[in-house]
Order: sequence, then C-alpha cells, then structure tokens
Amino acid sequence: MNRLVVTGLHKAFGDHPVLTGVDLEVPAGSLTAILGPSGSGKTTLLRVLAGFERADAGTVTIGGALVDGPGTHLAPERRRIGYVPQEGSLFPHLSVAANIAFGLPPRQRRGPATAELLDAVGLAGLGHRYPHQLSGGQQQRVALARALAIRPKIVLLDEPFASLDAHLRASVRADVQRLLAETGVTGILVTHDQDEALSTADRVAVLRDGRIAQCAAPQDLYDRPADADIARFIGDANLLDGVLDAGAVDTILGRLPLEPACLTALSSGRPDGPGPDGPRPDGRGPATVLIRPEQVELRANGTSPGPDGGHGRPGQPADGPRELAGRVVAYGYHGHDAVIHVRPEHDPAAPTIIVRTIGGSQLPPGAPVTLRARGPVLAWPRA
Amino acid sequence: MTTSPTLARPGSPSPAGRGAAGRPAVRARRARLPVALTAAGLAVAVVLALPLVFLLIEAHGAGTANVTGLVFRRLTADLLWNTVRLTVVVTAACAAIGTAAAWCVERTSLPGRRVWAVLVVVPLAIPDFVVSFGWASLWTWVHGFQGAVVVMTLAVYPLVYLPVAASLRAADPGQEEVARSLGVGRVRTFFRITLGQARGAILGGCLLVALVLLAEYGAFEILGYQTFTTEIFTEFSVSFSVPAACALSLVLVLLGLLVLAGEGMLRGPGRVSRSGPLAARQMPPHRLGRATLPVLAGFALLTVLALGVPVGSSIYWMVARSSHAILGASLTSAAIHTALYAAGAGVVDTVAALPIALLAVRYSGRLRHLLERSTYLVLAMPGVVIAFALSYFSERYASGLLYQSAPLLVLCYSIMFFPLALVGVKASLARAPASLDEIARSLGQRRLAVLWRVTLRLAGPGLVAAFCLVFLSVVTELTATLLLIPTGVQTLATQFWAYEQNLSYGQAAPFALVMIAVAALPSYVLGRFFDRSARTPG
Repeated sequence: MNRLVVTGLHKAFGDHPVLTGVDLEVPAGSLTAILGPSGSGKTTLLRVLAGFERADAGTVTIGGALVDGPGTHLAPERRRIGYVPQEGSLFPHLSVAANIAFGLPPRQRRGPATAELLDAVGLAGLGHRYPHQLSGGQQQRVALARALAIRPKIVLLDEPFASLDAHLRASVRADVQRLLAETGVTGILVTHDQDEALSTADRVAVLRDGRIAQCAAPQDLYDRPADADIARFIGDANLLDGVLDAGAVDTILGRLPLEPACLTALSSGRPDGPGPDGPRPDGRGPATVLIRPEQVELRANGTSPGPDGGHGRPGQPADGPRELAGRVVAYGYHGHDAVIHVRPEHDPAAPTIIVRTIGGSQLPPGAPVTLRARGPVLAWPRA
Repeated sequence: MTTSPTLARPGSPSPAGRGAAGRPAVRARRARLPVALTAAGLAVAVVLALPLVFLLIEAHGAGTANVTGLVFRRLTADLLWNTVRLTVVVTAACAAIGTAAAWCVERTSLPGRRVWAVLVVVPLAIPDFVVSFGWASLWTWVHGFQGAVVVMTLAVYPLVYLPVAASLRAADPGQEEVARSLGVGRVRTFFRITLGQARGAILGGCLLVALVLLAEYGAFEILGYQTFTTEIFTEFSVSFSVPAACALSLVLVLLGLLVLAGEGMLRGPGRVSRSGPLAARQMPPHRLGRATLPVLAGFALLTVLALGVPVGSSIYWMVARSSHAILGASLTSAAIHTALYAAGAGVVDTVAALPIALLAVRYSGRLRHLLERSTYLVLAMPGVVIAFALSYFSERYASGLLYQSAPLLVLCYSIMFFPLALVGVKASLARAPASLDEIARSLGQRRLAVLWRVTLRLAGPGLVAAFCLVFLSVVTELTATLLLIPTGVQTLATQFWAYEQNLSYGQAAPFALVMIAVAALPSYVLGRFFDRSARTPG
C-alpha cells in the first residue's frame, strides 16, 4: 500500500530554516490537504517529497520503502510521484497528447492510455492542441492527466486551483476528487485556502512554523482545533476571555458548558495538542474560549433590552448562557447567510463578536440586538 | 485574545484575487552552485577580461609618465570634444526618432503599421560604413560633424526603436486609461505614463547607441571625422605608435565605462511592472486624425533616408561603374572567409555563454551576479581596442605566435560580441525553466533524457538565434577585421573597404549589397524571435 510517512523532516535554505521537524502520516488512498499561510513551507515540503530538494534530516517513506533518510536519496525520476504544480507547467513544445504521454515508455506513447486519460479529465478530442490554446482550467486538467499517466504511487498537487476563477475552481476540484478516488491514488494537496482544504480533503494537516501543528479530519479540525491560532485560521472565530470553573467556562455570554473532548484534555492534565500553556491541575483559571459565529444566536431588538440583558459579566457566574445586549457594527450579506459584527453594550473593552445568521433581515449599523451563545464550547487555559 | 504572527487568518475568501497573489511563479533557488559550471563561467570571464588586462600591461610597459604625457595633450582634448558632442547629439536624435516611431507604430492608427514596423528596423542590417559610403559618395556636403550626425542617426536609431517598441507592446495599456480617468490629459499622460513605461527601454537603446558611436571607425573615416577610435586606428596601424594608441585606448575605455555607469544610475533599481494577467488586452489605438498624412510622410522620409539612400546609392554605383571581370571570384572567396569566421565566432560565443547564462537564469547569489556583471565590461571595450590589445600582445609577448591568424581573429570577434550571445542564450534558457526539468524528472525521465526531450527542445531556437546574432555582427564588422585579418585574405567588409578607399565605388558596391542581403533577412527573423520571447513569459 502507498502510505506516506514523514518523520522529523528538517530543511533549511542557508541559515533560514523552513521545515523544522515535520511529522506526517498520509493513509493510502486518502486525499490529505496541507494547509498553511504563505511562507509556511508548504511548497518546500512538497518539493522534498517529490525529491527536488534534499532534506537536511528526517525520513520519508512511501509504501514502506525509504526514499529519503540518512544516506538515502531516491532520485525524483525513480519515486513514481506525480507532481501537479500551480501553473500546470505543461511542456509548451508538446501537444496535449504528447504532454500526457511524456512519462510513458516510448512504445506506449501512442497507445490508448492517453486517449482514455483525456476522456477521464473531460478533454476528449483536444489531444492535438498545444498548451497555449487551452484555458487555465484545461491546462490544470492536462497536468493532472500527465501526472496520473505514470500510474504514480502518490500525486502531489501544489495549489492547483489557485490560478483559476471561482466557478472553474469548483469544477476542476470536483474532477480532481473524483479522479483520485477512481484511481485510488494517494493524494496530497497543498493550499492556503481553508475553505478548499475543508471541502476537498479527507484529512487536513495544518503547517505552521515548519511543522505540522494539527492533522485531523476537516470537521474535527473545525470543531476541535488544537489551539486558538488554529481556530482563528480555520474559519471565523470569536476568541473570548473566560474563567474555567468545574467543567464550564464563564464568559461575557454567561456560563457555557465545555466540549467533552476539552474536558478530557483538561482533566488528563494535557491540552489537546500543542497548546500555549499547560493547564492548572485543578482545571480552574483564566482561559481563551472559542465560540464559532454560528454558535451565537442573534435577535433584533424591537424594544429595549430586558431587565437581565446587557448586565451579564464574566465575573458574576450564573447558571447558564446569558443574553448580551449589543449594537450592530457591520452587516455582511452573503446570500445564503449573513455575517454580523456586534459590539457589546455597557462594556467598551469587550471585543466585537461575530455572528453568522441564516436569513433574517438587513440590520443597519447601530441597530440594537441581543446575543445568546449555544454551548458546548472549547477553551484553552491561559497563563 | 492573542494574535499569532505565523498563522494569520487569511482574509475573507476572494478566489479571484488569490490567483495572482498566491505565490511568485519563479523563485530563485538558493541551491549550491555546481562546481563545474562555476569553473567554466569563471574561465569565460577571465578570457573576456584579457583585452583590458593586456591594455594595462601595455600601458605599464610603455611607461606611466610616457602614457600620461600622451593623454594630457591638445589632441586628446580635441578628440574628446569631437567624440562627446557627436555622441550626445546622435544619441538624443536617435532617442527622439526611435521613441516617436515606436509609439506611432505600436499605439496609433497609423495606416500600414505592419509594413512600417519592418521598414523602420531594416536599416539596422546595413553596416554603418555602408550608410556612410552611400551618402558620402553621392553628396560632398555629407562630411565632418554634420555628415556624421546625419549618417549615424540614420544608421543606428533602430537600436532605440526596437527595445522601445517591445516595451510599449508589453506595457500595461490600462495604466494610460487609469491616468486619463484620473483627469490627466492626453499629452500629459504620454509624458507621465507612456514614456515612464518605456523609460528603461529608451535608456537601454541610448546606451547601445552611445557605445556604437564610441566604437565606430569606418563611417567616420569615410566622412573625415576624427574620434578616439579613428585616431587609435591610425596611431596603431599607420604610425605604429603603440604608446599613443595605448593612451588613447585607456581614455576611450574610460568613456565607455562612464556611459555604462551613467545608464545604470539613470535606470535605477526600479523595474517596469505589470499588474494583472499577462494576456495583453489590446487598447484601441490613438486616432491620428488630421495628423495621419504628416506622420505618413515622416515615415516615408525616414525610410527613404535610412534605407533608400544607402541601398540606392550602392545599386547606382554598381550599375554605373562596375567592371565584372574579377568580381565573381573575389566575391566568392570573401564570402566564404566571412562565413567561416562568423560561424566560428558564433559557435564559440554560444557555447561560452551557456555556463554564465545558466548561472544567471537558474541560480542566485553574489558570485554569479559578479560573473554576469563582469561580462558587461566588454561592452565598454570598442573593437579597435580589443583588436589592438590582442594583436600587440601576441606580437610582443607571444612572439607573434598568433598574430594575424584566423584563431586570434575569431577570438577577438568572440570577445567583442559575447554580450550579444549572452542576451540570446539567456532569453533561450528562460524559455526552458527549471520547473519543467523537475516535472520531467518526476515523470520518470533521467537527466540526459530531460536535457534532450525538454531543455534543448525549448532552448534550441534561442541558441540558434544567439548564434545568428553573432554571425551577423561579424559579417558587418570592419574595424577589428582590418587590424587582425590574416595576410592575403579578404572578407566582404575588408574587400569593400579596399575598393572604397581606392574610390573604386563600382567595385565596392556589390560587396555592400551582399552584406546588406546577408544581414537583412536573418535580422528580421531574429527580431521576430526576441519579440516573441519578450511576450511569452517563462
């Protein structure tokens, strides 16, 4: 099986470290996204996997065979790793068919394999064209077909959709998913777009400071990020100050129950992943609380706030979630939903809270609203 | 809330904007320099530096006091005045004509733009001394300073036209529209935006013009105009005064370096940038309206003066005065020798440019930058100085081993035209980026297979272009050829020169026409090649 295992990978350019101990396991036949901001070392990681760069330390194993390690460096042409770069990088002097057949042994180049692949990527009949006669999306499809033609063990996709328009992106992305699933090839997709990573991949590995900060299924990553940085990187996030107390956390939005996973992590005395600080042994103390925008309910105030609203303070523990009065700062309409920024009233120091609502009517800036959070939530102890 | 410097949340999803901003497509690798390649590059750089080293050794041998005395005298001041005023006037005239012509062809509704685009460039294929001959043999007033200004402007303005036209084609026309929308008028937009976009190209063209003027010999000899180059030639080959030739050469090289440095300073670090996709949107051309006829007349006049007069005059002399008796044999022999030398220099330069171009295109770092820069020093060395340095050195220190031999002549050509070859080879390698090599290897191809199936296929046409560039330059070279030609041998240029100096215009004319024919068609093809490579990125 073509499982990819990377351990302790280091790579520096001059005295500029890029990869500082990458550990990663990609199950055979899966599509794993490597997600990271620009300059996090994503492309360098791919280039090391493909054999274009040589790792300074660490090992790379493909299907149980060591390809990179102390004293070992398998040449790129002997790895059988398909590589699809961002620009497609088709050979400009070769026709589409010749591009796809490039890696095949001479006798098979005129065989039926090329036409089948053209068909598979939806470009049947375009084999005689040249790269400059293709659109960006078509070029990407040819690049993928070319990589798949050599029956690779692994396909590396380096931001393959970044240069495409939004609508093209979705269709090319769907084709890539389908083709990889059909051929059963293990895929690694590098991207800086968290939407793309969450919606395309089976697993998402977040690359930060040259190492993998977290690797999980998309939903796990969104629901249970290992720390506040990752939470903010994966989707919109409200990160509020709170106080941990007996399995719950007190916040500006009242007392909210904690996620079970979070509870286990706290009680075992080990944060779920590389958190910023260790928790206190008794599970009490200040914390950073993650409340996703869709976890907040918003009600437009026709009347003045109720007797209770607007006066909930984190310092005054209550039994459950508490209503919070605020005023709309910004209203972003997205068709299927709306994202509203709300500034809590009576507490100028409190951060603006982001709320996502489905439907509802337009709210002008300054409109009074009432917020209410739905637990359970995640929290990380702070020093 | 803590903000993380390393995992900054990307802005709200805006897929359209991501593409361009995603990641620079070409990244300079900081890989270790390959030893063999670096050694080869260093060797080439050393050979290129030989003329300058020889010149300094000769100056030292002639005695510092002697040389200083020869530099600081009346003659030097006169030559300096002649050279500088001609360089300034002709460069300015070329900048004006070249830029105006390029703008009209590229950006206006000028009728017959395709035809003019070719006709305007063709004069570049005519050797300067042939233009000079064409004019001076018909009219006696074409003489001295005024003659030199007319002849040289007509001969070399395409050196400004070509880069400016290319840069106007590649520049973002949207910038002009934005300027207009910001309330800047047509004329001011031209000066503030259009000229700004072409600035680098104009400067680059002016640099070439100035360097050509510093190096020109034949044209000025015919016109009786004295510059450093003509005087060095005379001192060396007529008066055999090596110290004087040496002293003047030092001043001339210094002038060349000044021109180079001046261009570098004016150009500054900024580069013309283009935002957005590279697929150029065609902007509607400026309507010429009532100016159409005068502009057309201007182009027609330019073509007649720059192309019609030299070619017509050569044809006139051939028809009116030629004696066909001995012509055929000497023409064939001269053509064969010319082709041999030119091909030799072309091969040597293309091969020699490869290591430095590879280092320049695929690696970054201080050493390769230094190597590439050092080869530009050759630009400041006029052919007469290179030929003089090489020939004197071989005579004096290599006991005449190579003096007036074919290898020394080819070496001289190779050094002179190395910068041309480097431009071509670099452009060709840029068409074969390292990323394609990597893809080919990931598809299971070994290094040699990649070289054969990808790199050479892509770079091949450019390498041929580099060869042609050197070949053509050698065909029309006169100065160094006169100094270094093996005894008893003639090339097209030297045979033309011999007849011209005897006032046998009828005999000289066929040689001029053959040189024009040999150079014209390939120059057109070359122009197309560089035009294409300028437009297709990577």
